[in-house]
Amino acid sequence: MSVRKTAFLALFTTFSLAVFAIEHAIPPLVPIPGIKLGLANVVTLILLRHFRARDAIFVLISRILLSSFLFGQALSLLYSLAGGLLSLCVMAAVMGLLQKKALFLTGAMGGLTHNLGQLAMALAITRTIGVLAYLPFLILSGILTGLFTGLCAGFAGKVLAPFLSDIS
Amino acid sequence: MKKNTAWRKPAVIITAFLLLLSTASLLCLLARREKSDYAAEIFQDGVLIKSVYLNDISQTGTFIIQGENGCVNEIEIRPGSIAIISADCPDKLCVRQGFISDSKLPITCLPNRLVIRLRPVSDSSETTAVPDAVTY
Repeated sequence: MSVRKTAFLALFTTFSLAVFAIEHAIPPLVPIPGIKLGLANVVTLILLRHFRARDAIFVLISRILLSSFLFGQALSLLYSLAGGLLSLCVMAAVMGLLQKKALFLTGAMGGLTHNLGQLAMALAITRTIGVLAYLPFLILSGILTGLFTGLCAGFAGKVLAPFLSDIS
Repeated sequence: MKKNTAWRKPAVIITAFLLLLSTASLLCLLARREKSDYAAEIFQDGVLIKSVYLNDISQTGTFIIQGENGCVNEIEIRPGSIAIISADCPDKLCVRQGFISDSKLPITCLPNRLVIRLRPVSDSSETTAVPDAVTY
């Protein structure tokens, strides 16, 4: 890994951490845990598209560790890892199928599987079937916010592409 | 020039999958909107001091609950809803919350350490959907 690329991935980690912090400061709009915009996913999508999956995983895990230490409660690390890693794997697969086209579909699948991963983790931790009551909300919000972050990543990627191509 | 269109088929499949899933969850949410019966539970210092089955109320009634620091809350019960209508605490957040008729948010008066919560009585297995902590 070249120094240039290492620096760039560090920059992306900082960027996603900043986005995460800004989003963290916005009070939740609905009283349901887990519903949020997930803007940090934009960074993951850009990395998946313009770099390799390995780089995206590297940045994602760094961001999750840092954000858990900075803002997290005891269990937020587990929830973030469950949602983040599951959605990253699914997004990498979907992006391959779609040949990096229609990024909003990849984003929607990512948002959906992120919420499903978190719900599965909640199910495993609380051992209450009752958390499944959130399932329809989380499916809908995951798809909608995923579409949005996917569109954002698509536009941002278009602008960034000339700068990114000579690094990866 | 040969255009690569191999990505279109999975795109259509994924779109269909997402549409199906969101329609299913929308239907699921709409179907769940039946009206539930609630019991209002009034807690002081975490101790249940009064429980009222709101659907048994036929007319508006008020009563007063006194806290240990001389803090006074007047509570009004209507058929299906409950509110704190006056309080002598400085911020009056509990009064401003008005009448509640579902279990989404309890009314809380911190100076009086008074909490009014609506508990669905149709199914006792499900506790009120107020999380102790929110993590992402």
